[in-house]
Amino acid sequence: MYANEVPLFKMKKDIIIAGVGGQGNIFAGAVMCRYAIEKGYNVAGTETIGAAQRGGSVVSHIRIADGPIHSPLIPAGTADVLVGMECLELLRNFHMLGPNGWYMLNLYRVPTVYTNLGIDRYPTMDEIFESLNLHALKGVSIPATAKAVELGASQTTNMVLLGALVRADGFFNREDVRALVGTSSPARFRSSNLDGFDAGYDFRPDVSESVS
Amino acid sequence: LEKKYVMGNEAITRGAVEAGVKVAAGYPGTPATEILDRFVEYPHVHAQWASNEKVALEVALGASLAGVRAMAVMKHNGTNVCTDILMHLNFTGVSGGLVLVSADDPGGLSSQNEEDSRILVHTYANLPVFDPSSALEAKAMVKEAFILSESTRMCVALRPVMRVCHSRAIIPFENYDPADAPLAHWVDDRERYIMSAVEVRELGGIKRPQARHRWLNAKYREIQTLFENSPFNAIEDGEGDVALVGCGIGYSYVKEAQAIIGSRLPVFKLCTLPIPIDRTLRFLKGKKRVVVFEELEPVVENLIKELCQEHHIDVEILGRSGFYPSDGELTVSTVIDALRRAAPSLENNRPPKVRRLSIDIPVRTRTQCVGCAHRALLYNVKRIARKQNGIVFGDIGCHDAGAFKPLELQSTIYCMGSSVPMATGAFFAGEGRPVFSIIGDSTFFHLGINGFINGTYQGATQVVILCDNGTTAMTGFQPHPGSGVNFYGEISSHVDLVKLGESVGATVFTVDPYDLDATYETLLEASGTDGLSLVVASKPCFLRASREGINLFEPLDGVRVDEERCNGCMMCINDFGCPALVYDAEVGKVHIDEISCVKCGLCINVCKRGAII
Repeated sequence: MYANEVPLFKMKKDIIIAGVGGQGNIFAGAVMCRYAIEKGYNVAGTETIGAAQRGGSVVSHIRIADGPIHSPLIPAGTADVLVGMECLELLRNFHMLGPNGWYMLNLYRVPTVYTNLGIDRYPTMDEIFESLNLHALKGVSIPATAKAVELGASQTTNMVLLGALVRADGFFNREDVRALVGTSSPARFRSSNLDGFDAGYDFRPDVSESVS
Repeated sequence: LEKKYVMGNEAITRGAVEAGVKVAAGYPGTPATEILDRFVEYPHVHAQWASNEKVALEVALGASLAGVRAMAVMKHNGTNVCTDILMHLNFTGVSGGLVLVSADDPGGLSSQNEEDSRILVHTYANLPVFDPSSALEAKAMVKEAFILSESTRMCVALRPVMRVCHSRAIIPFENYDPADAPLAHWVDDRERYIMSAVEVRELGGIKRPQARHRWLNAKYREIQTLFENSPFNAIEDGEGDVALVGCGIGYSYVKEAQAIIGSRLPVFKLCTLPIPIDRTLRFLKGKKRVVVFEELEPVVENLIKELCQEHHIDVEILGRSGFYPSDGELTVSTVIDALRRAAPSLENNRPPKVRRLSIDIPVRTRTQCVGCAHRALLYNVKRIARKQNGIVFGDIGCHDAGAFKPLELQSTIYCMGSSVPMATGAFFAGEGRPVFSIIGDSTFFHLGINGFINGTYQGATQVVILCDNGTTAMTGFQPHPGSGVNFYGEISSHVDLVKLGESVGATVFTVDPYDLDATYETLLEASGTDGLSLVVASKPCFLRASREGINLFEPLDGVRVDEERCNGCMMCINDFGCPALVYDAEVGKVHIDEISCVKCGLCINVCKRGAII
């Protein structure tokens, strides 16, 4: 939390969604923003979308507060929630989390050009969990992409994660977010997006001190 | 009045619309693209994707001289392309309000370089620049820029950085009436609009360029005085003799940084160039040390240093020149670190703890999309270049990722259109190895066409491979003179690349990049031809086609690796590099990732062992 003696906010929620191009990162963020705006909060943010369509890293910063927001970028070491849509991308943004932050990891790994060539090594899941658990932050991991594939639409990974996030974080209200998923989705993706959202919500993620 | 949650870029569009802009022209480039894109919602404005940024600014200038409000939109590289017209319109001044939007990309997140276009526009061309600290301010600044431009008859620039362009914020959309905008009314003014070495009778026969330079210098000082009262500059009192100057987004980071660590150093919000002299002097009074936070070069820092020297003021001025990093994007963390070092009294104002993982995190580079026709083409160019020991010159566009691992095909990537003339130069250098260049269609029309005509004219033997996907794909599918549609999607004339190549005198070949064998044979023939050969490889962008539900190929039922036959030679990954081909180090074989594979089947022909089926 901010050290300022006179806190700027009673409520601040800084969320980072980190993934790779094509995972629907920006759409999931847009739904959260719409929700917060409907609840009367100030909302700001930014995203790195330069290479979004070509397999590069994509990061959305979503800032929700009941006071003025200056920087569109969430400062390092202050984020409240980190959603890793892909394992490496969660690790890459882990330093953004603040002392009371928590994270949600999608158990899904996309190799990089360098790991594919054997120049870099993609860490094993054991190594990833071991590294994360050295830090006393709460976290949860869910197989969102596997669930989306099971539902027949791998591109709804973002909605599975959103459903799980809404269940885990009391800031969000299920019915309101679900309604926004419905109204924000293009017609041909509406029902699969809602299915994904519901499946994510049903994961009942248990945000605990360690992930495995 | 309505409030919307939009990108900074859309806030800029809306500001221009509310200001009554009539003509808006630009060339796509991250982070500026959406500014022009959004005009599609305001059909009463004439918007156009020009063939390049210089053309865009000239279109906007013509509209301004005809009396209406006009805007040119581009990224910093485009402003470089505009330098010539910029260094003339600054001398002539304008008629209707003319605003140049030059978006910078500190950190080079989506660019070939990082640079500060304030230097070109302000320090070199002596034009005023607004540097917005937020999306909301960017909108206010665009409106003010039109008013200032018309009242001073100077072109005014808005320089948003990527974090303003790509920020999102709640923005008020105010009402406007297109009928309030100025109407076209051309008035001849040869004293201004004829920029030529002609004697000015009224000034004792000095030449026009010198006379206009005198005018420009006077205008600069006039605007400097006007900015004493600019609402975009403000002094915020605080405690102590160490103080901060926040320029543009730097101001927002200063505010955030002070809130985080709980400090109350005085702040000067300084978002205009030129800087107001009196106001700056007032701020410096009683200060011992001042740190300037700006993107990306020490422009304001150096101006304040000059001021201190002229006025014999003993204040230490620190900033981009070395007190904090002189390269890359500013962050709140950088600001916090700098202000704790600048103000020893902040020793106990702890920065946020930043956690580090004990694990190596591999970098993630981009490549072409799965299914992209560029990959098939690059694969064949690599085969030919390898066979003939060729040198491949690259250009800007999605195909540029062929220069990275695993392909490492192109040997150079510079700026728009540079590939063809560089190949011409290497040919005449007597290098002896065959020279190739790879250029996209939008880049070809931008500035590539000049080098193409030159290469043919000079008689260089070189192969130009034109990756023609019919659109400006990298920035989100903006049309260009070869697309056959205009900004609004209406049918337009379109350049026939084959006829163009023939009329210039090139030997022209056409290929379907998805037809791997035929493309290989044609490239082989082209590379054995004297003079300049143009290989036009036309195929729509796969990403765009798939979004529109168009099949560019008949998807196979399934593509898989026969594990018995795969010996892990990696040829498919090294030479083709589709991201759906994944090497599994544990078993030493490749497999196909079913989630990302689009079943184009191209890799089946790439594997020489027949292991992909």
